[in-house]
Amino acid sequence: MEALLTATSSDYSREMVSAPPKSVAGEEAWIGQAQRSDARAFEALYRLHVDKVYGLCLRMTGNVSEAEDCTQETFIQAWNKMLKFRGDSAFSTWLHRIAVNTVLGRIRKSKREQDRIQAVNDAQPARVATGDTGELRDLAEAVDRLPERARHVFVLHAVYGYSHDEAAEMMGIAAGTSKAQLHRARRLLVQQLEEQGFEA
Amino acid sequence: MTEKFDDKLDRAARELATEISPKRDLWPGIAEAIATPKRSRWTPILAQAAAIVLLVGTSSAVTYIATKDSNGPIVSVAPELVFEQAAFGGNYHLGPGFQDARNSLRDDLDVELARLSDEAREDVQANLALIHQVIIDINVALEQEPDNVLLQQKLLRAYREELSLLRRVGGLTRNVMRRNDI
Repeated sequence: MEALLTATSSDYSREMVSAPPKSVAGEEAWIGQAQRSDARAFEALYRLHVDKVYGLCLRMTGNVSEAEDCTQETFIQAWNKMLKFRGDSAFSTWLHRIAVNTVLGRIRKSKREQDRIQAVNDAQPARVATGDTGELRDLAEAVDRLPERARHVFVLHAVYGYSHDEAAEMMGIAAGTSKAQLHRARRLLVQQLEEQGFEA
Repeated sequence: MTEKFDDKLDRAARELATEISPKRDLWPGIAEAIATPKRSRWTPILAQAAAIVLLVGTSSAVTYIATKDSNGPIVSVAPELVFEQAAFGGNYHLGPGFQDARNSLRDDLDVELARLSDEAREDVQANLALIHQVIIDINVALEQEPDNVLLQQKLLRAYREELSLLRRVGGLTRNVMRRNDI
């Protein structure tokens, strides 16, 4: 555990699957064109942001198929709501909000989440390709096994850096609940990692 | 577990990849979905055109009615002029007050129409039918695009026009009756 928790960016960041830096010079123009129903401009926005959206969906669902569906649904919804984007926040943040709503909506609607948790508990599924290596992969897997709400709060707050207020707003919960869920997530993560032989 | 430990956990969490490339290209599915008429240009244009036709037609009808008096027999509204339950896309509902007002005016419509000349009556019926078709068309579009604010506004305007026309028909025929009484 100590090794995991003392990991530095130099250990892992080079091996992440993160896309190479992409230019955002044309983003504003693409947004304007997409708001005028230009599908090609919207595709450019998709190419620019798909890794961010898919990453969030994958972290939140822990399931490749669900993450792919959520990503597609997020961009379809974004297309339908393009006129509502006023630039009050970054376009990527706006997409993240849609993605979170999409993930939560799908979970509420289909209850596939329960099936997913069961599947994780019953068998060790093939590790989803997140690009995490070594002990970060162990942490990622432990995060995947967290209960739904604790996992979502942990992903939004600890992984993506949203404040409790922002995470709470995205999830439609109180900021206090977000803090409580983060506390719960941390305890469960320690417990899981210790069971795997890590020591804090 | 100490606060320092939590900090270390958070630091490790920040090292997790936040941008991950999907294994397959998801764009074709998205492109197919957005290529459907859900957000095509014709929908708002059609709605705008219909609204313009609606406004012009309604204004013409009311002007025509205002110049006509009639004591014709009481007739039924044309069978094809069906007042369906007011709808507002798939995700929205119109208030009970609106529905009550609409139902009340619709109940009086046969009597009111009977007081109009044949030409005026046909004109009103045609305009109501036009409004209804516009409402249906916009509702269909809203089913595909429930968050389209423009369509929502157009639909609301269409319902208001319908209500306004029904009220004006009633008011005009009462004026006709009063003039005849004199």
